Amino acid sequence: MHYLTPQISLIFSTLIFGTVVLLNLTKKDSIAVKLYMLQSAAIAILLLLSSFQKLSLLLLIAIIATIAVKVVFAPYFFLKLIKRHPSNFSHSTFLNTPLTVAVMVLLSILTQASFFKPLIFLSPSSQDLLFISMATILISLFLSINRKGALSQALGVLSLENSIVSFALFAGLEQSPALQLGITASIFIWVTIASIFTTMIFRQFGSLDVSSMRELTE
Amino acid sequence: MNYFYSILLLFTIGALGSLFLGKKDQAANLWGNLFAIAGSVAGLIFSIQTLLSGTTPILTVPSAFPLLSFTFKFDQLSTYFMLIICTIATLASIYALGYVKHYYKKYNIGVLGFFYNIFIASMILVATSHNALFFLIVWELMSLASYFLVIYENREHNNIKAGSLYFMMTHVGTAFIVLAFLLMYSVTGSFEFEAIKTGIVHAPSQITNLILLFALFGFGTKAGIIPLHIWLPSAHPAAPTHVSALMSGVMIKTGIYMLIRFSLFFLPAVPLWWGLLILILGAVSSLLGVLYALAEHDIKKLLAYHSIENIGIILLGLGSAFVFVSAHLYSLAAIGLIAALYHTLNHATFKALLFMGAGSVISETHTRNIEEYGGLIKHMPQTALFFLIGSMAISALPPFNGFFSEWMTFQSLFQGVLRFDVLTKLTFILSAGALAFTGGLAAACFVKAFGATFLARPRNQEVAHTKEPGVPLRAGMAGLAALTIVLGFFSGTVTGFLNKVAASLINLSGTETMIHAQTQSVNIANNFAFISMPQIFIGLVAALTVVAGITYLLTRTQKVSRNITWDCGSDLSPRMEITATGFSRSFITVFQKVLKPLKETEVEYDDERMKYFPKSNAIHLELQDIYMPYIYQPLRKLVLDTAGQMKKIQVGYTNAYILYILIALIGILFVLAL
Repeated sequence: MHYLTPQISLIFSTLIFGTVVLLNLTKKDSIAVKLYMLQSAAIAILLLLSSFQKLSLLLLIAIIATIAVKVVFAPYFFLKLIKRHPSNFSHSTFLNTPLTVAVMVLLSILTQASFFKPLIFLSPSSQDLLFISMATILISLFLSINRKGALSQALGVLSLENSIVSFALFAGLEQSPALQLGITASIFIWVTIASIFTTMIFRQFGSLDVSSMRELTE
Repeated sequence: MNYFYSILLLFTIGALGSLFLGKKDQAANLWGNLFAIAGSVAGLIFSIQTLLSGTTPILTVPSAFPLLSFTFKFDQLSTYFMLIICTIATLASIYALGYVKHYYKKYNIGVLGFFYNIFIASMILVATSHNALFFLIVWELMSLASYFLVIYENREHNNIKAGSLYFMMTHVGTAFIVLAFLLMYSVTGSFEFEAIKTGIVHAPSQITNLILLFALFGFGTKAGIIPLHIWLPSAHPAAPTHVSALMSGVMIKTGIYMLIRFSLFFLPAVPLWWGLLILILGAVSSLLGVLYALAEHDIKKLLAYHSIENIGIILLGLGSAFVFVSAHLYSLAAIGLIAALYHTLNHATFKALLFMGAGSVISETHTRNIEEYGGLIKHMPQTALFFLIGSMAISALPPFNGFFSEWMTFQSLFQGVLRFDVLTKLTFILSAGALAFTGGLAAACFVKAFGATFLARPRNQEVAHTKEPGVPLRAGMAGLAALTIVLGFFSGTVTGFLNKVAASLINLSGTETMIHAQTQSVNIANNFAFISMPQIFIGLVAALTVVAGITYLLTRTQKVSRNITWDCGSDLSPRMEITATGFSRSFITVFQKVLKPLKETEVEYDDERMKYFPKSNAIHLELQDIYMPYIYQPLRKLVLDTAGQMKKIQVGYTNAYILYILIALIGILFVLAL
């Protein structure tokens, strides 16, 4: 039985798109982390629905691991970091809010350009879903570009990974459970290292605003 | 096929066990080298069995990664190269059992055994792998293992320097190989060799030309073709001798193997320019290689330069084969290919023998400078005999193997002179001329090397304390010396066998046979040329016997009296001998326009003011390195300048770097849509 119907897919892809748009607009780091949590939960549900058809134990383990790492572990660490250094997370951006919205609109329109068409051929029946996923990918990248705070940038990268998973899912590019497990493990390690690193960066620079870390150029 | 895995397993056990034994010198030496011998002998048996059976076993192990599969194919070409690798590795490992002893208490023997086993196994994998990604992995493994062997004696600053240059050059080469395979993938959509071979026929000629050029840069760097050779003269001497023997004798041939694979397997319709280019590079490499060797007085460097020379000779055979293939003269192409394949085997044997001979001398005298040897034949007569056999073989003197393969190369070039238009004919004439020159100069160089090392009087006090090396060292050299003679004597049989290897690459069906090879003789192009190596051998033995007999008959009644040589009232000293530098000086003077010698005269006077009576007079003669200032330094400057410009985009903001990613992503999509 098909659990991942076009309607359900559209709802979840819109939800993921919505979270990344809000991630760009929010001024509070704790809300950003929660938005990422919501986005990851949506991805996990999508994976779960697609896995019902295959009844694979390994896939189920991969989904449980995804939930554990992306929905629980990573947000928990980020929230803990925010709690520890409440005044040191920068949520400032290079562009102001109206310009940020304008760029997001432009990036969404860009996905309709002719040179994106070859990607649509991967699954012509899911054309709308693929457009939304591509817009999500581009806006996630933009989140990392526009934000000055290290945490927001990290969330942008993680959101990008979620967007790629959703694109692969709608494009029918089946990912093996082993690959999904590998990605989840790497996120787990990355978040662990990042939290240690953030503390070290804070000790060294007294800030987590990446634009103040000029010494990194040498 | 499990047998093949067992071979790899033997090397793996040898490597890991040796590393585990670490600094237990004796145990690590025995473990590492005995497993290397076992693996090589097993590989030798496997390759002989496969070649004789005429079958082409294929072994595929799928991988979890897309496009990568662990595919091995034991076709005639792969198995022939595996045979060469295993033959030389067996004898080099026997030699190593004794040679490695002089590293005891100085360096970690376990590490040497580890990388040595990995090195041999990776060379076998390079020759047998049939998936481009897998090939690149094992190619890298071979490069890294050999790099660590080059810098094994890491307390010597020069070795580290040589290793760094080798590391850099080999990776530049690998970058070109990757480009060649990627281009093939873009056309065929596969990294499997068989799929590439089938799919590449539809590729436009511009793409295939580019693939050939990338392959030439990539594999030519490993083979040491001039001007891509700069790493070779310093890296080969730096490694332990048994490794030098393998690097010079075998590893550089993997470059030749892949050039054959690219030209005759992947792209069998090679263009004429490709053959001519290989011929020209062969002529230049052989001639310049031997000239640089002549000017050298570091014995291992001298041998390394001769490797460049011999790669040039192999390229002459190969280039002529490519030209004939481009003209659809397949039966003539077989002559060139057989000459190249035969010389590949021959060079591996006599070069390994010469390196081992040099290594034995170095381990006794503790120097690589030929000028400090002399008179070693009295102390090391067996080593001298083995070195003499190697010297005669590399100088292409009958009845040794080097003579036959060079003779075959000449025949291939002569056929080209007879058949083509003016420009191509001229290239063949010049190539034949270069080969003739090379043969003569190589003989002169080894007169110098053997004379200065083993004959006359000692020039160093160390020589008085030298003795014949241990049994394993002599056994390794004796095996190679015997092989040198056997491969010369049975050249007809070997040619017949190589004809089958050539037939597996060149379509000979429906063409007139140009090689008639039997045990006792080889006939080229319907009696255009004929040779019988057994007859030459028997003739030479008979002539020597007759001369010895006549001498004996004439002198048996004469009384032999021994007296001191009249020396004009002064004592005979090593200063009265001609030095290696002195010997080669006339050659350098003749070729000074090419070699650009740097001569420095040092005169010390009894009275500095009068300058009438010189106390000492010394001439330092060395060659100017023309490749560094004219090719590599400008290239380096260009790379550094470009990198300097590129550094401007390194602004230090992660935001900017992610922006670059976004721009690149959109840019790539835009380009792909064009």
